[in-house]
Amino acid sequence: MREPNAVDFWRGLALVTIFVNHIPGNTFERYTYSQYGISDAAELFVFLAGWSIGIATRNRDGSPEPRLKTVLRLMSRTIEVYRAQITTMALALGMIAGTALVLDNPLLLEWHNAGSFFADPIQTMVGFVLLTHQLGFFNILPLYVVLLGIAPVFVLIGRVSRLAALFLSFLLYASSLVFEWNVPSWPGEGDWFFDPLCWQLLLVLGFTMQDWSRTSPWLKRWSRRLLPAGVVIVLTGIVLSVLELRPDPLLVPDPRLVFTFDKTYLSPARVIHFLGVLLAFQTLYGFLAPRLGWITAFLASLGRNSLAVFSIGSLLSLAAQLVRFWTGGGVVVDVFVVGSGLFALGFTAWFVEWRSRKPRVSSP
Amino acid sequence: MALPKAAGLLALSLALLCPFGGDRAWAQEPAAHQDPAKVGAPPPTVVSPPSVSAGQGPDAEAVDVTLSPECRVPGSKLYTLARLGAVKAALKEKRPVRVLAIGASTMGLGSSATYPVKLETALERSLPDVDVVVESRGLQGEIASGAGERLRSMVAEVEPDLVIWQVGSHDALARVDLDAFGTALDETVQWIKGHEIDVVLVSPVYTASLASDDYYTSLVRKVQEVALREGVPLVQRYEAMRYLARRNDKGEGHLLGSQFRLNDLGLRCMAEHVTRAITLSLLQPDPASTGSAGRPALTLAPPKESAGTKPSATAPAGP
Repeated sequence: MREPNAVDFWRGLALVTIFVNHIPGNTFERYTYSQYGISDAAELFVFLAGWSIGIATRNRDGSPEPRLKTVLRLMSRTIEVYRAQITTMALALGMIAGTALVLDNPLLLEWHNAGSFFADPIQTMVGFVLLTHQLGFFNILPLYVVLLGIAPVFVLIGRVSRLAALFLSFLLYASSLVFEWNVPSWPGEGDWFFDPLCWQLLLVLGFTMQDWSRTSPWLKRWSRRLLPAGVVIVLTGIVLSVLELRPDPLLVPDPRLVFTFDKTYLSPARVIHFLGVLLAFQTLYGFLAPRLGWITAFLASLGRNSLAVFSIGSLLSLAAQLVRFWTGGGVVVDVFVVGSGLFALGFTAWFVEWRSRKPRVSSP
Repeated sequence: MALPKAAGLLALSLALLCPFGGDRAWAQEPAAHQDPAKVGAPPPTVVSPPSVSAGQGPDAEAVDVTLSPECRVPGSKLYTLARLGAVKAALKEKRPVRVLAIGASTMGLGSSATYPVKLETALERSLPDVDVVVESRGLQGEIASGAGERLRSMVAEVEPDLVIWQVGSHDALARVDLDAFGTALDETVQWIKGHEIDVVLVSPVYTASLASDDYYTSLVRKVQEVALREGVPLVQRYEAMRYLARRNDKGEGHLLGSQFRLNDLGLRCMAEHVTRAITLSLLQPDPASTGSAGRPALTLAPPKESAGTKPSATAPAGP
């Protein structure tokens, strides 16, 4: 088990933010940083995933591991994430259907995109395993599956030239923005909530920047110099989101996705805001870590076990939504569901680490 | 008073575009109803005189017989009407009408009978010689927090003439603050209308376990208020399903899943109900009568209806 570090810490914070934001209407929602900027925890989560790929595919001395090993490693991670998505979706559908039956309330079946699963199970079952049918709030992992699936291409190109990897990634991003390329949803119309063709940019940025920061003093120097610019961007983001100022998608010039604040297609404004956040907060961990005490350890433990914590977190936020609906919500209920949820997230992280520490006699 | 007028309208309204002065919409059944016969589409019902006699109370009101038997609901329970300028413009220009259907249960019930497909068929049957293109999208999230923003992106992507929006389920599930919901809905509807796109709102479902939930009924009422304030047609899914629930009450409410059967029926009827509201709204007069069109007095009746009179499903459809 590694010591707390900045990546795990921020990833832990992103996980907690996603957990709270996925309980819509709850009291604490307005206190998460997602409400005060153009980009949100999703960007941070994907970027840090890329950063971790950078770390995972190199040896301790910084030399790259063999190519085949990298490909296999990423493939195995892809399978793991896919398995997590299928398991959590199945459990979520069971939770929704079960609650609808117990409360004798079919309204619950209309829960974010779940309706078609119950109304049209034949097609939707196929879409479910193909990841083309996604429940609302359960659409980050499908994105992650695709990103990890295509990551070897970028990682291997990045070994030859980081600039080439970045250029290719940016080209794909820009074309998807202009031509509105996305992966279609099926059954039903529309597209994925997170467009992998656009969001790959953050993953590639993550691992190339990890690599750069390791070797280039230039990057470090300039990111320090640009810190004030980051602060300005963050402040602008706060003003824009508090005043709810954003471009009207029907008034912006073509190609409109370049100018709007679109989450699905990761519009440039979101990327710029996110880079601003990175610049502004780059040194904050060093300042916060010793002062926050157990909170640092807690967040870092979540970040170390992000897949398990994220999966359990998705189910816990669904459970919290159902409890809030059933009880009618209110501050007391919110304190209870969010509090017990955070405790359960911490327990999940501890449990995963406890399990991996245990000597394995044999696989069950 | 509705009768003689409606008889005249019967002839007049064959041309849907032609404006006329009369807004007792639910008394004007035959108007759109004759069209299916004209184009030879399978008309489930027979042309009949207006089904409402003057002087009857709302509860004694007869059902709208242009709807298929299992979906029959009195007009006043089913919709409130308002002008649909953009769709009319599209009809005048003889171009296809683009419809964006947004909502939680926009999919389902088998590949050939999904709501968007049914909607498209029903609309094309009601509007002969008009090509209707229905795009449907699920909208995740709450209007009170962010879904309005995503809806704007969808509208920008599809560029429809009409948005049919089943609204409120997700906000109800998240029990968002009612005022925040109302304000956000107002703003989004204003935005859509501001871009010369028509909106039809569809209120959330009725189910017995929610009938006594004050929050839920207030939310349903909020949707009614917004529709009235913004002058957009409303399909009162809640009211319609409640009516169907009473009519179909066979004393098996204790059986597990009875509410689910009703929900199924509600879904099956939705395309018809929406089409009815749109067709009749197209008959609304052109002058700026939005907001006061239809029968506003009825729309504000809270979902929890005071009268205990059992609506008569078998009320004769004659004058």
